[in-house]
Amino acid sequence: MASSGNKSINAKLVLLGDVGAGKSSLVLRFVKGQFIEFQESTIGAAFSSQTVAVDDATVKFEIWDTAGQERYHSLAPMYYRGAAAAIIVYDITNQASLERAKKWVQELQSQGNSNMVMALAGNKADLVDSRKVATEEAQAYAQENGLFFMETSAKTATNVNDIFYEIAKRLPRLQPAQNPSGMVLLNRPPAEKAAGASCCS
Amino acid sequence: MIETDINDLSDDADYAAASRQQGPASFNRSDSGRRSSSGETEGAEVVYLKDNVTIHPTQYAADWISGRLKLIKQAGSLFMTWIPYKGQNSNARLTEKDKNLYTIRAVPFSDIKSIRRHNPPIGWQYIIVVLSSGLAFPPLYFYNGGVKEFLATVKQHAFLVRSADDANVFVVNDFQDPLQKTLSSLELPRAVSVANSPSSSVALSESPSSGNQEMTEGGAFNGSAASVRQNGTPRQKHNDPARDLHMQVLEKFSLVTRFARETTSQLFRESQMDGFLASERRRYDQPLVEHQSLVEHPESPDSNGSPKTPVPADPLEFDKMSLVWGKPRQPRLGLEEWSNFLDSEGRVMDANALKKRIFYGGVEHNLRRELWPFLLEYHPYDSTFAEREYLVAIKKLEYETLKKQWQSISHAQARRFTKFRERKGLIDKDVVRTDRSLSFYDGDDNPNVHLLRDILLTYSFYNFDLGYCQGMSDLLSPILFVMKDESESFWCFVSLMERLGPNFSRDQSGMHSQLFALSKLVEILDSPLHNYFQQNECINYFFCFRWILIQFKREFDFDRTMLLWEVLWTRYLSEHLHLYFCVAILKRYRNKIIGEQMDFDTLLKFINELSGQIDLNPTLRDAEALCICAGENGAACIPPGTPPSLPIEDASVYPQLEDDIL
Ligand SMILES: Nc1nc2c(ncn2[C@@H]2O[C@H](COP(=O)(O)OP(=O)(O)OP(=O)(O)O)[C@@H](O)[C@H]2O)c(=O)[nH]1
Ligand SMILES: [Mg+2]
Repeated sequence: MASSGNKSINAKLVLLGDVGAGKSSLVLRFVKGQFIEFQESTIGAAFSSQTVAVDDATVKFEIWDTAGQERYHSLAPMYYRGAAAAIIVYDITNQASLERAKKWVQELQSQGNSNMVMALAGNKADLVDSRKVATEEAQAYAQENGLFFMETSAKTATNVNDIFYEIAKRLPRLQPAQNPSGMVLLNRPPAEKAAGASCCS
Repeated sequence: MIETDINDLSDDADYAAASRQQGPASFNRSDSGRRSSSGETEGAEVVYLKDNVTIHPTQYAADWISGRLKLIKQAGSLFMTWIPYKGQNSNARLTEKDKNLYTIRAVPFSDIKSIRRHNPPIGWQYIIVVLSSGLAFPPLYFYNGGVKEFLATVKQHAFLVRSADDANVFVVNDFQDPLQKTLSSLELPRAVSVANSPSSSVALSESPSSGNQEMTEGGAFNGSAASVRQNGTPRQKHNDPARDLHMQVLEKFSLVTRFARETTSQLFRESQMDGFLASERRRYDQPLVEHQSLVEHPESPDSNGSPKTPVPADPLEFDKMSLVWGKPRQPRLGLEEWSNFLDSEGRVMDANALKKRIFYGGVEHNLRRELWPFLLEYHPYDSTFAEREYLVAIKKLEYETLKKQWQSISHAQARRFTKFRERKGLIDKDVVRTDRSLSFYDGDDNPNVHLLRDILLTYSFYNFDLGYCQGMSDLLSPILFVMKDESESFWCFVSLMERLGPNFSRDQSGMHSQLFALSKLVEILDSPLHNYFQQNECINYFFCFRWILIQFKREFDFDRTMLLWEVLWTRYLSEHLHLYFCVAILKRYRNKIIGEQMDFDTLLKFINELSGQIDLNPTLRDAEALCICAGENGAACIPPGTPPSLPIEDASVYPQLEDDIL
């Protein structure tokens, strides 16, 4: 995995956002390079992982893709608890989905890990003709709230790898710990687990 | 119809009547004082006799061995025998010699520790006789009833008390001598009681047994043989292959015993917790935390991060056990056989037989349209063709009325009706990504996709409090695929949601109660696995969420999903077979899960990726076996009202939360 001298970081990342905003599609694009037009709704949650290399480290994302419906809201803390990063996804063709995204940001700011890296993704950027949310509006909101922002398209792959790469760059670099590369940490003490990201050399 | 088993047990009154017709072979208790059957030594008195008491060495009915159970009194001591009939099962794989292994020859009650009675709601009553050594005989199924009578007879002649922990366990203590009773309560080695027991001086059975030593020979399955293992003293002839086989059989039986013991002690723990059911509500709110501390940690898997961890043995390992209860699956129910279930006017004559048939085999696809409405309890089993036709017509009108409720919402009204717009939007998003790979739903502007939407939207008005929730489109899709008709699909869906609606309730109570019940079932059916989950923060069983929420819809292809659903909908062995099915899957992968030390994340990923990998029929059989095995202890794990049981309170009430948009 990481060449000697490089850090290898495991980072838990959670995707939150409205139903059908494209959370699962973004993950599928990032992890498998695919797009499915009729991606099934997510029931419960899905977990997958993918590794990206940034200049000084290799980051293995442990990705939690959640169900978007408000009804399942109460399950979300189980998944964002201890996450090092979050991508809050809205659909640029749907104004309500941005409002929903803002609610998630609020919740993470009050409940989540304080040094969590948060990104706002305006997905379905390929659907320019149906756009309902102006880029500037979302950009301004993101700036005010200390998130970084990108418009993405899971369909065309625009900015998908980039958003994960940006997150990887922003993750805090922690003290190296003993962990064979590529392995899931076993029996992490709760404190370390809560920090969400762990690294090793 | 491939129906191999004998009828359910008749109650004792029926048996008494039937036995009078059976003639000399049968036994009538009133003449027990005078009678002793041939081959028994003088002075022995048969105090109980029951025919058609059967053991099930394998799941194949052809292998089941019927025999005669007797209680014999001699020299003041009570003995139990069970001798298989000769010449039965001509085409079975078990030879006469195999059968001899199971024969119970004159086991003195001083060697018996307890008798556990099982009264499954459906099927035969059976008992498991546990020896003092901890080993047990295989379950004895009473095809003709008579368990109560058996226990009553034992009680007359031996010291039998009902266990304080479990009303179905009867503890045996056959010491007439008060001094011996005291000795036994001090738990002196049981060799003492055997030595003093009259068993060594009687010869009641076909096998010569004039002393302890001989009783270990000859392949007889009896109490003294068990004592060899317990004392650990090898006696003569330990290279005798027959005896080795004998020991293997004993070991397998001991699995059953261990299981029985574990469930018993489990229930004992439960009863200490100030009433199992009363504490349920409380525990949903604090999921599983407080009972964690009450669970023992018998084997803690080595968790020092080594990828190859020794995996604690599965206490009920099916593949390796000959005592498998699950029956082979049958071919699907076809048209001709189905027509035999109906009387001339179209009533199902024996609904239970029909459910049983479907439970074991499912239904041919072209019959589903006719049968699913029964299974879903939309059509009553005792309705006639004409009544059903009428019901369909009435319900169609009712559906149209319901549908108009949202159809009549104009654009202008919709603009002022956020809840409606949002609900419709959500349904629109979901129907276009439900089973689109099926030709039935594929393509642009597919009319069936529109039907899905219309039915779901109508349902969300019919049950406005519950509304629409993700997952519902998965439940409707196979129904529409089968029923084709819009109104019929709607009403079948309504019936299904009567039972599964709580899966989608806002407070998640339906899901919590099922996950809770699942955790209790794993605890009694595979405690090492349960302990593993507990130690690895997987105790909430959320990795099974999708399985339960939409009844394994995402785990199987369409055809298998339909088969599984109709089997579950029969509610034949249990209303909660789906939970045993979860246990069955988990047990199939337990060694991998524990061996690879999966944490919650890895486990969730692993479980999600099992989609399309699960072998349906064998898993169903495991689920059936687990359900039978767990018996009433399993049922006791599942609180009343747990979906898909009908809710205890009014089913139509779904609490609303403030500030909840959908
Ligand atoms: N045109 C376009 N369609 C997209 C894009 N991303 C997702 N979709 C479509 O939007 C629909 C919903 O996408 P999902 O990825 O399932 O959405 P989700 O956020 O995971 O939804 P839930 O699991 O229900 O919360 C699917 O039909 C996708 O094909 C995109 O970038 N462009
Ligand atoms: Mg999704």
